[in-house]
Amino acid sequence: MEFLNNVFVAPFQDMAAAPDFFMQVVWEGLVSGVLYALIALGFVLIYKSSRIFNFAQGIMVVFAALTLVGLHEMGVPALLAVPLTLGVMFLLAVAIERVVLRPLVNQPDIILFMATIGITLFLIGFGEMIFGGENKVMITEQLGIPTGSFEFEPFGGFLLIEQKDLTAVVGAGVLVLVLLLFLNRSKMGRAIRALGDDHQAALSVGISLSTIWVLVWFIAGIIALATGIVWGARAGVSFALEVIAYKALPVLMLGGLESVTGAIVGGLAIGVLEKLFEIYWGQPLLGGNTETWFAFVFALIVLLFRPQGLFGEKIIERV
Amino acid sequence: MADTIQSSPWTDDGIDPGAVLLNVDNISLSFGGVKAISDISFDVCKGEIRAIIGPNGAGKTSMLNVINGFYQPQEGTIMFRGKERRSMKPHQAVGQGIARTFQNVALFKGMSTLDNIMAGRSVMMKRNLFWQLLWHGPALNEEIEHREKVEEIIDFLEIKHIRRTPVGNLPYGLQKRVELGRALAMEPSLLLLDEPMAGMNLEEKEDMSRFVLDVNQQFGTTIALIEHDMGVVMDLSDRVVVLDYGKKIADGTPDEVRNNQDVIDAYLGVPH
Repeated sequence: MEFLNNVFVAPFQDMAAAPDFFMQVVWEGLVSGVLYALIALGFVLIYKSSRIFNFAQGIMVVFAALTLVGLHEMGVPALLAVPLTLGVMFLLAVAIERVVLRPLVNQPDIILFMATIGITLFLIGFGEMIFGGENKVMITEQLGIPTGSFEFEPFGGFLLIEQKDLTAVVGAGVLVLVLLLFLNRSKMGRAIRALGDDHQAALSVGISLSTIWVLVWFIAGIIALATGIVWGARAGVSFALEVIAYKALPVLMLGGLESVTGAIVGGLAIGVLEKLFEIYWGQPLLGGNTETWFAFVFALIVLLFRPQGLFGEKIIERV
Repeated sequence: MADTIQSSPWTDDGIDPGAVLLNVDNISLSFGGVKAISDISFDVCKGEIRAIIGPNGAGKTSMLNVINGFYQPQEGTIMFRGKERRSMKPHQAVGQGIARTFQNVALFKGMSTLDNIMAGRSVMMKRNLFWQLLWHGPALNEEIEHREKVEEIIDFLEIKHIRRTPVGNLPYGLQKRVELGRALAMEPSLLLLDEPMAGMNLEEKEDMSRFVLDVNQQFGTTIALIEHDMGVVMDLSDRVVVLDYGKKIADGTPDEVRNNQDVIDAYLGVPH
């Protein structure tokens, strides 16, 4: 009886008793949710247009952040380092298309997946060779990201919102909005979607495979840089960042591999839910540290009921 | 409705009716040790319906794939609209005015009939990214223009009732018709049809034959088609080229081809 009370009643009483703390928890969850959503977006874009599960998305985040910080260390002003880093990401996209994807056109998906593992290993080695393996500090201030914090007192309590988190949320929002407009309205965006639907058909209406592949890998690179800046500002820049990419897996399972909306909603939902679960159920009942597994279990439960994820495409097949 | 289409510039490719539009010269194509096409030459004249026939594995589809750039031949040249080339990419072929359909229907299955045909217009959208993103002004007007054209094609192919249906849900015969619509939306000067009647019943075949003839006559589109149904081929086409084991064995009008001994042997078999 007491156990049931602890699971179903007490947590909600706690939430109601301290609404300011509840809001703080939700906000923290939302901020990590934005990051999960960004990473998942990178996956979704590449998957949509080429049916490749891009294992290298995580290392691309690290590589972009390292390049940015590395360039700054070499004496490049921060605001110039950003476009330069974007240039590097573009070159990377071109190189990946030429060297890895083009020779593997028409190979089974699993081969391309293996190839992205290869890209991961290459980028780890290449990044370490050029920028060294030690941890670096993200150049938050130099980029003009405010580092102060706002304090609110809702319900007579206390709520702290860091300005860099707020910048991250707003920045990510703008990025996603532009991306959605691009995908839905522009000719290139339509081509990306068409290519994901049927390669042969896309080629026959005049869509160039190589142009679109470079484009999506470049967009994935832009997203990687944005993610790298935000995450780096919170946790520093190191190769350990790569593991956050695996946090995107449950988001993808939840949202569906093809859905941009799914990535965003899934990311935010998992960010918020895992924080709430940790604070109100995990720490008092399970000894804490539930954030490492909660997302996966949650995604599995959702998959039981919707195998295609919340927003994934249901495959229509006429038999 | 047909008048508006007729007045469109899509037959205007600088080639006079009756002159050579496409000339395939000594093309050879092999995959590793397997020779799919050896040393084939033929031409397609502006305004005609040209059939490519032959038993299974004769290299017909490979030939189409060479023409629209899916395959790169090892030898030979292709002259299209007066320009010579050895190889090109599929999107470049589209840019030059070659559209095609596929043997096993390649459509965007999740999209509606309308969107699929609209995709055929994508090559012609010219407005820049800025306007496209704003979804306003010139980009919107352009979208409307293309939409009108697409509606004409939908009317023409009599598929109005399925314009909003996801094509994955349509019966095979209708899918083939949508695919033809998408190719037409590109306003091609050469239309390649890979077995447009495969797997259809008699009624569907008659419909499709009528559309192919209408496209050819109303829009003046030059058509090269592969087909197994000999009745259809002999009725529709102006000239026929026959392939067997990757080689050309006959070329001429349907009557000439019908009476050619090599063709009869290839189809009926000869005692060795």
